[in-house]
Amino acid sequence: MSVSVDTGGKGGGKKPLNAELNLVPYIDLLTCMVAFLLITAVWTQLARLQAQQKGQGQAGEETPPELQVKIVVLVNQEGFNMVVGQDQTPIPKKGSDYDFERLATELKKAKESHPDKNDAQVASEDTIKFDTLVRTMDTAIQARFPDISLIDSGAAGI
Amino acid sequence: MPIEAPKAHLYHSIGLEVAKGKLHGGGRKATNAALNLVAYIDMMTMLVIFLLMSFSASGEILFVQKNITLPDAQNWSDLERAPVIGVTKDVVTLDGRQVATGEELMKDSATGDMKITELHDELVTAKNNYKLLHPSEDFKGVCIIQSDKTVEFKMLRKVMFSAATAGYQNVNFAVRPKAKGGVAPAAE
Repeated sequence: MSVSVDTGGKGGGKKPLNAELNLVPYIDLLTCMVAFLLITAVWTQLARLQAQQKGQGQAGEETPPELQVKIVVLVNQEGFNMVVGQDQTPIPKKGSDYDFERLATELKKAKESHPDKNDAQVASEDTIKFDTLVRTMDTAIQARFPDISLIDSGAAGI
Repeated sequence: MPIEAPKAHLYHSIGLEVAKGKLHGGGRKATNAALNLVAYIDMMTMLVIFLLMSFSASGEILFVQKNITLPDAQNWSDLERAPVIGVTKDVVTLDGRQVATGEELMKDSATGDMKITELHDELVTAKNNYKLLHPSEDFKGVCIIQSDKTVEFKMLRKVMFSAATAGYQNVNFAVRPKAKGGVAPAAE
């Protein structure tokens, strides 16, 4: 099991320059690597979306008073209701779908007006599907609010 | 005695005259054939490169459970080892063991208690075990919720409340990673 390399020498009384590469160790190595990698392969790529459970007045809220503007995205059957401090912005559904584009725009505006704010709360009603909540949290993280809390709409205090 | 490359030969005791004739030439075409290994090595090399690219040193942390369709998310991070709570419409599991049924969770409790007792107790046990096994490390209170995308928040709320009362304040939701810009990653 080898491969010859012809270096063009024709002899002429000299030792031929043809060389044979021994490929057996190389093929052994490749076979072992393929077997090992096939056994340890991870075929399902999964990831995580981090959230906390922090309601109003619970532990962990040690921010100075000037930064205590709450940013809450309330998710209900009518759509979103975005609350920044005392301002509320209802974002109704587009037909039967939630308007995530407008939510992203509003969250970006909130970030621009409060650049030091990194946390936002997603408050949900009981009947909201998990998929909608994940997309809402994803939109909030996209708008540079990395510390997301998922809470009950009753705990949001709106 | 010098080591020589093996050559084709037959034992004298085997009376295969035709084969002997062929092996010693006999005016006919030789039976030795060289195997062309280039294509085989090419294929193996490509396979190794592909498998190395999809190699994950952390191994498989989450197994996709039956009846669970995970939601997609763009702003994801890598998974870390933590207790896995599986939530479907029918059943809630902790590391594969059933701890509650969906029917129980969708009922409104008369006392308003949201705690799932079995899940809470098992999580407390897991927390205590972690503290025993890792005495020098801080307990982070991280758990992974692997929920179906159609599950309502009412169920999740009870699961999250039970986890929080057991000391697991940081919840990681298992998602399917989606590349930025809404394009599915190549690994999917």
